[in-house]
Amino acid sequence: MSNHIDGSRNSCALHGALLVIEAIDGAVPVIHSNAGCGFHYFLGLNRLNAGGDAFGGPPVSSSNISEKHVVFGGSSRLREQLKNTIKVVEADLYFIVSGCSTEMVGDDIPAMTKEGREQDFPVIYANTPGFRGDVHQGYQIAAKALVEQLPELLREKRPRAQGVVNLWGIIPHQDPFWAGNLEQIGRLMEGIGLKPNLLLGYGQDLDGWHRVPDAELNIVVSIWGETTAALLEERYGTPAITLGGLPVGAAAGRMLRAVSDKLGLEAERTERFIQAEESRLNRHLGAFADTYYRAGFQRDFALVGESAQVVGLSEFLTYTLGMVPRTLVITDNPSGEAKSTLHSSLSALVEGWGAELFFDEDHAAISALVRSGGAGLVLGSALEEAVADELGVPFLQVSFPLSGRVVLNRGYAGYQGATALLEDLGSLILSHALNVEVSSPASLCRTETVYHS
Amino acid sequence: MSLLKAKSPRIREKRLDTLNAWLGRADEAIAEFSGEDTVQRIRTFSQSTQDDLLYALRLLAGIRNSVVVIHAPRGCAAAALYHRVSSGTGRWIVSNLDQRDTIMGADRKLRKAVVGAFRQYSPEVIFIIASPVAAINNDDIQAVVEELHEELELPIVPVYVTGFASRNAVTGYDIALHAILKHLAGPRGEHQRTAGVNLLSVVENGRDRLEAERLLLRLGVELNTLPDQASAASFRLATQARLSLSLDQDSENYLGLILRDEYGVPYVEQPRPIGIGATGRWLLEAGRALGIEDAARELHEQESGLLRRELGDFSLQGVRVYIALSVATAFALSDLVAEFGGQVAGITVGHLDQLHKARLKELVLQHPSLQLHVADGQPFEELNIVRRLAPDLYIGDVAHISQVGRLGIPVVSLENTPVLGYNGVAGLARSVSLALKNRSFAAALAKTPTPYTEAWYRRSPNWHIKKEVR
Repeated sequence: MSNHIDGSRNSCALHGALLVIEAIDGAVPVIHSNAGCGFHYFLGLNRLNAGGDAFGGPPVSSSNISEKHVVFGGSSRLREQLKNTIKVVEADLYFIVSGCSTEMVGDDIPAMTKEGREQDFPVIYANTPGFRGDVHQGYQIAAKALVEQLPELLREKRPRAQGVVNLWGIIPHQDPFWAGNLEQIGRLMEGIGLKPNLLLGYGQDLDGWHRVPDAELNIVVSIWGETTAALLEERYGTPAITLGGLPVGAAAGRMLRAVSDKLGLEAERTERFIQAEESRLNRHLGAFADTYYRAGFQRDFALVGESAQVVGLSEFLTYTLGMVPRTLVITDNPSGEAKSTLHSSLSALVEGWGAELFFDEDHAAISALVRSGGAGLVLGSALEEAVADELGVPFLQVSFPLSGRVVLNRGYAGYQGATALLEDLGSLILSHALNVEVSSPASLCRTETVYHS
Repeated sequence: MSLLKAKSPRIREKRLDTLNAWLGRADEAIAEFSGEDTVQRIRTFSQSTQDDLLYALRLLAGIRNSVVVIHAPRGCAAAALYHRVSSGTGRWIVSNLDQRDTIMGADRKLRKAVVGAFRQYSPEVIFIIASPVAAINNDDIQAVVEELHEELELPIVPVYVTGFASRNAVTGYDIALHAILKHLAGPRGEHQRTAGVNLLSVVENGRDRLEAERLLLRLGVELNTLPDQASAASFRLATQARLSLSLDQDSENYLGLILRDEYGVPYVEQPRPIGIGATGRWLLEAGRALGIEDAARELHEQESGLLRRELGDFSLQGVRVYIALSVATAFALSDLVAEFGGQVAGITVGHLDQLHKARLKELVLQHPSLQLHVADGQPFEELNIVRRLAPDLYIGDVAHISQVGRLGIPVVSLENTPVLGYNGVAGLARSVSLALKNRSFAAALAKTPTPYTEAWYRRSPNWHIKKEVR
């Protein structure tokens, strides 16, 4: 049985599906639910990722069912809404997603989809009531629907593309840096001669989704891409590589070597590319070093975020930037099995540095963990700002939800992403160091947590 | 019988014949509310918009020392996350209903969530917000309220929103205010009157509320502002006040009426203080009701004199403005546009009902052929209208304002811009001047297409509005 949550940051399955659909160029969601479901999504998801909505407002098609439909059923309302959406809204794909009430009433969404298809409309559907899970399940449900139903819409056979690799597990906006992260990982794949199929974000349209079966490899960035990769292996026999976290800095080299190895690419070329990327990052580290020492950059940190972020960022912070992990909180509700995988992949970091690893999504509980752990730097969502203030330490917003920070194309993945993170953290710590100098002596004392470890 | 005996107030459609879909001339709108029965309209194509749950959540986020328990699946808390993160208000817990709960019921889970909220925050009051799932499930919220009210010894207020019973989100304010008064205002009837005055402020911009308070405090009025930033005690105090002053009749009307009809507190209802003239009339009316008319007149002369000097030669001469706002604000702003010599090209309001008959008549006198569009968050209709009218400026507080911007028209958002009183005029004049002076962002934005087909733009904008068949 699920428990009540204080200040949840994971919203619901419907909202997770909307995140996916709105990140595909040419796809339009048709919501079959109450009027407010899409508006909740706009306020609680789009608006908390300043720079987040695809259409310039709340979702553009929603059946907005009323009491009559709850009592007598709303299938005919959906039929009408779908037909008119096709006339009013420009799209290549209409993707019906359902909400709690229409699922409880038992509206026949597959039948309405079938009717649409019979009239040659490009329509697919997914059952996404909020009571089925959070945004992560929504991502999985939407990806599954796309993989399973899109081939049915394809009329002619297309020539098979070569060297394609699909990317899975980066959830738009739930990772605020999703677009930049996908582009960075894509750039790295191009660097070793592959054709990355990012699937979501700028310029990612249905063509990419139709190429999914062509891929030679599925790259699974977070645990949330695993079910899709398994489905593709079953349907098309495509192998997969699981990264277990965002590849930031050196981890990007490991990813490139693994992919190169798996696909039998020319090792020398891959190494040359990695060397070039690494040497640029090293140059940045060298240039930053004076600030690092002057600002007292090195300190212990608390990090609150999705599993892929916690794994990827904490590794770079610890093994490259010399920071000391203290409290790590994973907020995306991994299943029991995924939890133990995460435990083991983070064990060196946790045991080696005396850090503590927690799994929680309850705002009050997370704040308490960060508070009692103490740290000289907090990285998390806007919800952790208050506890960082209490500790009197610098605070960087890296996970959902954001406030007071605009992210359009910034990514923390890859080597360039590592430089971006260095820029953000460096600016923050530098300005904080200067501010503390001019304020009271008392605030100086509060930054001493680094000695307690 | 007392109105507060009922579990919830009647929905706006039934109480005030409220329409949320309509397009026509303002004089035709008057006719809609003059006959016996107002015919409701429905849309055969619609877009996501606000509902009663969202409005109630927003109102309750402004009550101090409270916690909201959202009795729903997790997604119904998304807007609450927004309020918490963007304005730091509203502490909440979601009961997180799952598939099993939708079959078995979830009273036990609600009880646990309420107890959890109590332990975590030790609030003065706990609100339980219902949801579509709770409504369809018919969860016995009342039983939980009665049991825990005794056990925890604090008021627990159930707010019976459904998300589907009314097409007008503003019903959510009524439901929340009904619940608050029912549970927090104390026994009905005539009370010993205090010298205090209720300032009814429902989800106003914080700086707007401060501006209204500033003006009334300068007149020496003893204020009790509610429900914005009120505590549980404010509602009990409100029943003993000398009178209630309005800021926005659409949102607060139910609160004013209940305080008047159930507790005998006179309700001074008047147009919003937006624009120099309207602010003066608002202030004078308040002064008259409180017997300090001269002081009010003097304050208006002083403030408006200062403001006019600050405005300099600000003018809207030759500027055609489209207005898309909640209805009381839209009417007030259309007066302001006229006050500065501008022309109102058209108006979209969120809803329209019996409360607006008098204002509609005034509007028709001023702008005889004005087109009125009634829609809450239906940008497909609005963009169709606005693209035809091609106004020089669009002023709105709508969620789809950036979609309107894609038409290449300069846009001023009032969502976070204060508009009330003398400071409101000054701020608005600054925003409008800048928007008209440099239109390059609108031109840049026009390179992003709007989501709609060209075929739709050729259709009449009210194509999908139909009379409801009963």
